Amino acid sequence: MSPAPRDRGVLVGTMGLEDDARVDFARLRADRREKVLDGMERHGLDALMLGGVGNVRYVSGARQLGRAGVLPFAPVAVVVAEPARVHLLSTWDEGVPPEIGYEDLYRMNWNPANLAADLAKIPGVREARRVGTDGLTPRFAALIRQLVTTAELVDAAAVLTTARRVKTPEEITCLDVASAIAEAALTAMEDALAPGITERELLGIYDEKVASLGAPNPPSESVCFATPTSGPVMFRHLARERPVGDGELVVLAPGALYAGYEAGLARTRVAGRSGPAATPELASRCARGMDALVAACRPGNSGADLYRAWERAGNPYSSVSLAHGLGLGAEPPLIGLGRGRDVTLEEGMVLSVQSWVTEEGIGGCLERGTVHVESGGPTTMTRYRRL
Amino acid sequence: MPDLARMRAERYRRLQDQLDAQGVDGLVLLGSSAVAYATGAGEPAQDGDRAALFRSVAVVAKGDSAPHVYTHYDDGLPDDLPDDHRHAPLFPDIDDGIEQFVKALADHFAPGARIGIDHQTHPVLRVLPDLDWADAADVVGAAKLTKTPDEVACIRHSQLLNELAMVDARKILRPGVRQIDLSAAFLRRVFELGASANSIDPIWQVMAPTRELGPWTVHGDLAYPTVTTDRFLREGDIIWVDAGINWQGYASDYGRTWITGTDPVPNTKQQEQFRRWRSVVDAALDILKPDVSALSLGTAAIEANDGVRPWIDHFYLAHGIGTDSAEMPLIGTDLGEEFDERQIMQPGMVAVFEPVIWDEGASGYRSEDIVAVTDSGWVKLSGSTYEPYGVEA
Repeated sequence: MSPAPRDRGVLVGTMGLEDDARVDFARLRADRREKVLDGMERHGLDALMLGGVGNVRYVSGARQLGRAGVLPFAPVAVVVAEPARVHLLSTWDEGVPPEIGYEDLYRMNWNPANLAADLAKIPGVREARRVGTDGLTPRFAALIRQLVTTAELVDAAAVLTTARRVKTPEEITCLDVASAIAEAALTAMEDALAPGITERELLGIYDEKVASLGAPNPPSESVCFATPTSGPVMFRHLARERPVGDGELVVLAPGALYAGYEAGLARTRVAGRSGPAATPELASRCARGMDALVAACRPGNSGADLYRAWERAGNPYSSVSLAHGLGLGAEPPLIGLGRGRDVTLEEGMVLSVQSWVTEEGIGGCLERGTVHVESGGPTTMTRYRRL
Repeated sequence: MPDLARMRAERYRRLQDQLDAQGVDGLVLLGSSAVAYATGAGEPAQDGDRAALFRSVAVVAKGDSAPHVYTHYDDGLPDDLPDDHRHAPLFPDIDDGIEQFVKALADHFAPGARIGIDHQTHPVLRVLPDLDWADAADVVGAAKLTKTPDEVACIRHSQLLNELAMVDARKILRPGVRQIDLSAAFLRRVFELGASANSIDPIWQVMAPTRELGPWTVHGDLAYPTVTTDRFLREGDIIWVDAGINWQGYASDYGRTWITGTDPVPNTKQQEQFRRWRSVVDAALDILKPDVSALSLGTAAIEANDGVRPWIDHFYLAHGIGTDSAEMPLIGTDLGEEFDERQIMQPGMVAVFEPVIWDEGASGYRSEDIVAVTDSGWVKLSGSTYEPYGVEA
């Protein structure tokens, strides 16, 4: 093991180096597993059955096929407290870390009864009294009770959400790498932005860039939209075929996943040589809102402090979230849209913070950043020139 | 091209018919593909946890004229969705504000209603502990089993975009190209061509010559599909390609075998594998028409492969496709022979045939042919070129 680098920047790359891998993934997984097992003990859970993509990755560290969208609950990973083991739905060993042995794998089934039978064979599951899940379906709830265990099925969030909320140093490094990949994608999109290009072409350029950097599964394909220079301005999510107009303000909002960890940023740019005359005022309002939100991201502050910071910066109710957690994808807390006033920010959290302002006759301006809540205050992990 | 408004109306009518037939008063849908099916609402492709936290929720009440959509993605809502059916997002995954979820249900359902749900979050279970939920999968699955002509047209177009983008990806395949380079070329091109979303991390798995040289598996059969990395592709590598993009909510499924090289030419053994694959698919297609059972199709495929089951143990001879990349009908799975015997082909079913031909020591061949069952037989929805094995087959 090389000494811990004084310049953490040396960690921000994706190649293995001959003296060491940049991220100590074995330690990353061990720290996560320990937090989960501690949480299970604290909450009196004998086992967990998990289907959420982030939860499965958190407990297993397995590299599984990336898919868009969210599926109904199905048990993809099972954590047993005694004997302490992680079991995984994987028909093969590729992508499965070494601490999960062959005997801990169960296969892909199309017949839910066969899946239930495999789950029942996992040592410690049948006799469990309290099992945490991250969701249910009426069918799985019945199958688990009939064929797997008569345990009480409770919410696993008390364990998983708590474990995931505060990041370890290795997790922060992964988020740094993801930030850099997202910044690279922003450069590619910014270089390509010109009147006449379509949002879908920009999305293609984005996807090409993150894929070529080894992160082909984007956290979201909502990565760009042009805003109109007249009429109401709405936040849009779906890429259109319409060519971007000369002088339009265009939101570029790439994210990236590295080892499952998500970071992202957004900047707004003018397509063409000059935007509407009052663009600098709108950009400065956007920046003030962002600065106010980021400044409020201190340990001990509440969600209500972010709402207040946003309002004091002179902004009306935001139609998008002010902040939400980041880690293995998007995660709680959610602050904004009427939610999250009572949330308390903790040291070690990472948040996606965004300022979205609009003005009819000019357009919209979005700034988004990935913010690490540290003891001394917030650090914005993503870096890029402002409008 | 499909008439999207007509397609949405027909799907919604099917859901209403199934609610009636199954004695369910309505649906609450949280899964991405079920929401897409019930409402036609578009949303950006997002990674699992982001798609969950910011999910759209659809509510279908029996007898209502249109679905209700609770969403962040206003710009994805169909133009013909009435204003009073468009709602601000609900957050069923967090406790804060969950009373709005309760209120939304109370707005559409009388107390004691039997409601089908596809995914239950714990915050929802906490506030509605006594509700007698049905599983929405029964209603949605029955509605989705056969496709309308507009749905078939969507799958065909989605598939066309996928195949056209693959032409560009295959063009760059040479020794030294990495798997992620193929992903980059494919994804860039498929959005230029008009794809709505990418649904799955594209797969470019290098197949070892023997099972033992590939990844270890639980069942001793092949591992497939494994996840793309920055692995370099080298002269002669056999690659099983699989990619799914989405157009107007409909999945596509590109499956082909490629060989790494400059103008690669399959050797005799490889050509033989390809011909065998063709004859296995043809054996199933020869008998495919309404009223044929899934079991007969599986049996025909096995016979054409000299009695050896020509598909991987954890998969199937064929799967359906629609707003999900794999859905019913499933032919040859662990649901078993009795299940397959009861699965009867009907006009409007869509099947992706993906048998695998394997020669221990010489790797194997896999491609995918997509067909829709018609009143008298079938029509092919996927392309008929299989380079570098066969330009037309």
